[in-house]
Amino acid sequence: MENIADYIREGRKDDWRLELRKSMKAKERTSLERVQMPEQDAVERSHNSIEVNLGIAEQMAVAESLRCLDCAQPTCTTGCPVGINIPKFIKKIEAGDFLGAAATIKETNALPAVCGRVCPQEKQCELSCFYTDKLNLPPIAIGHLERFAADYERNSGKMAIPNVAESNGKKVAVVGSGPSGLAAAGDLAKLGYDVTVFEALHEIGGVLKYGIPEFRLPNDIVDVEIENMRRMGVKFHTDFIVGKTASFELLREQGFRAFFVGSGAGLPRFMNIPGENFNGIFSSNEYLTRVNLMKAAHEDYDTPVLSGKNVAVIGGGNTAMDSVRTAKRLGADRAMIIYRRSLEEMPARKEEVHHAMAEGIEFMNLHNPVEYFADASGRVNKMRAQKMELGEPDASGRRRPIIIEGSEFDIDVDTVVVAVGVSPNPIVPSSLKDLKMSEWGTIIVNKENMQSSIPDIFAGGDIVRGGATVILAMGDGRQAAAGIHNYIQQKVKAS
Amino acid sequence: MADLSTKYLGLTLRNPIVVGSSGLTNSVNEIVEFDKNGAGAVVLKSIFEEQIILEAEHKLKKAEANGMMYSEHSETLDYIDVHVRGEELGNYLHLIQELKGKISMPVIASINAISSHEWTSFAKRIQDAGADAIELNIFVMPFDLNKACTDNQQMYYDILKKVKSQVTIPVSVKISPYFSNLAKVIKNLEAYGADGLVLFNRFSSPDIDIDKITVKHSDILSHASDIANTLRWVAIMAKHVKMSLAASTGVHDGEAVVKLLLAGASVTQVASALYKHGPNYILEMTKFVNDWMEQKGFNYVDQFRGKLSQDTTENPDVYERMQFMKYFSDIK
Repeated sequence: MENIADYIREGRKDDWRLELRKSMKAKERTSLERVQMPEQDAVERSHNSIEVNLGIAEQMAVAESLRCLDCAQPTCTTGCPVGINIPKFIKKIEAGDFLGAAATIKETNALPAVCGRVCPQEKQCELSCFYTDKLNLPPIAIGHLERFAADYERNSGKMAIPNVAESNGKKVAVVGSGPSGLAAAGDLAKLGYDVTVFEALHEIGGVLKYGIPEFRLPNDIVDVEIENMRRMGVKFHTDFIVGKTASFELLREQGFRAFFVGSGAGLPRFMNIPGENFNGIFSSNEYLTRVNLMKAAHEDYDTPVLSGKNVAVIGGGNTAMDSVRTAKRLGADRAMIIYRRSLEEMPARKEEVHHAMAEGIEFMNLHNPVEYFADASGRVNKMRAQKMELGEPDASGRRRPIIIEGSEFDIDVDTVVVAVGVSPNPIVPSSLKDLKMSEWGTIIVNKENMQSSIPDIFAGGDIVRGGATVILAMGDGRQAAAGIHNYIQQKVKAS
Repeated sequence: MADLSTKYLGLTLRNPIVVGSSGLTNSVNEIVEFDKNGAGAVVLKSIFEEQIILEAEHKLKKAEANGMMYSEHSETLDYIDVHVRGEELGNYLHLIQELKGKISMPVIASINAISSHEWTSFAKRIQDAGADAIELNIFVMPFDLNKACTDNQQMYYDILKKVKSQVTIPVSVKISPYFSNLAKVIKNLEAYGADGLVLFNRFSSPDIDIDKITVKHSDILSHASDIANTLRWVAIMAKHVKMSLAASTGVHDGEAVVKLLLAGASVTQVASALYKHGPNYILEMTKFVNDWMEQKGFNYVDQFRGKLSQDTTENPDVYERMQFMKYFSDIK
């Protein structure tokens, strides 16, 4: 952390920063109002898959950047898992150097346009902002500004390709092309490695593509980042399951000296209640993957998804919000969230809940499904739900949902999406006998360098954490890249 | 050699000594040992809803300690109790499936149902996994100040009805003695379809440590003297119900088995004695029963089963009072 603190302090005394600070009194800055993210009209957007948040314009970005006090001891940075130099990039925006702002973010974050859209800033950097912490005022809109800088750079046609060291010819494999894999691949490419990313699906991007709908994170935003990596020399191999298509042993024989496993948590979990196997009941993974990646919503594609008029989504996390909003966009008359705790306990981002409500999503909080019923063809047609109340807090500090006896009633449904969590992908672990696993099915790693019990295998993201934010997964990927670099260097020295 | 076989829940058991639901009946290896030592049947350890909640709490705490909670609660941890239950139930079904090929005695699964719909529907999966019968361990303690006794009783009937509607294998009900009219409740349970009744549940009781001034658990294991209430109610009910009766609590030796068979039980359930003496104690118990039968000239169990049960009088109270007067007034 000391290094990050030094990195953050660095440049604060530069003349341009000093001048900016002097140009406006702190009181004036704190009296400014936080910028509001423009959104697509709620009714209109609930029928299309265009991005909901429209992004802030240059003037708005500069106005927001004026609010930042450029604190001597910035607390916002402590809330960022990858240690972005937040005050510096915001002051670059204030100075009108938008490309410089983007470059500052990219010093530690390979996917700023993604993080600016999907990071839970309200629980990370913005939660630790001086405004939140000490002034009890709305925090600086760090997420909006990050997105602005990244979008500005992309639209400027002057997208910088990070400097890449001269090739050292050493091959490293990255298993999975989600956020941790991309972050690892990017850093390893910068260090001169010959990096190949193996992706099981037919598209690159992992959860960024299959899990997050386009109305929250357009695929072309991810594609631009992937294209950048290609230009840095990273190779991508799709439809390739490491552990099945080829074993680790075979890849070793082909010259791969180390592996980064970022295969994610793509194994869906269900509730194990009667009738859960009826047609029309999906895991959120399947539902979102079919729509996001397999174009199930397009009539001319041969992989459609059962699109119902009465859709119930079980769960209260971001995946549940993504699923229910997707259902609405696919034409559901009634798209419902069935969640067993109250609105307050929902793990989803407040912004997503707010967006969903505006789009006409029905929230049935303090309800839980107990059984499903089907018609003669086996298609679900009814869900039996029971009402809940909140009891004593559990170990997470949230009040535990308790069944209200005799409160069962039936709801007509023709599609159900179960979004109650995922398990780590078991394919890599099951193909490596000596790999040490936790009771959660995650890979156990040394937290310093992300090295597993098998020396040439490093891992990060959901396969290590069970379930993480994009930015945490990226942090793991970067840490593992450093670990792999160190490991290969030591091996070279030893030989 | 006498024939010790007995009928319980329509199943034929090689003898009336059943390993009761306990921590001893939770693993394949231990159960195989009981089978080798000649137990008549085994009742698997119950899955308690409270245990699942505790396990989920433990996992949440561990997740927090290992930095798995992050700044937001992940969806998996949000439903950790559901997932823990799914895993526990999965393990339970796996235990049944695994046992079926390894032991010759019948396997009776045990569901500790409090109320919930999900638990009763689990019965069907137990049947599909290959269990020979289900013991419903219903556990409604009379603590609720707002509930009338009929409300509590109705919960027993509702749970039983739901389970019976899910399965075709026999279902027994294990109950506590805490009913204001136990005899009527037992009759009603039979009317609602119970194939057998287990008398009684043994609860963990609180005690107070006067040195440390704290609440503690009293003895977890039963004592031989605890048999009295079981013996009384088996004797009272044996002739009033057609369903099989299993005697539980205080069955510590072969002599207790004989007494309970004489009172009218079809089988006896043993747990504490096996904790104390190990699986081969079953051999000792069966030997005692066999020797007693030979000594008394009985060739098979039904020759003496229920011989000392209450006769067909309509009012069990009379039997109780008679026993009392006989003891204290030396009435012949």
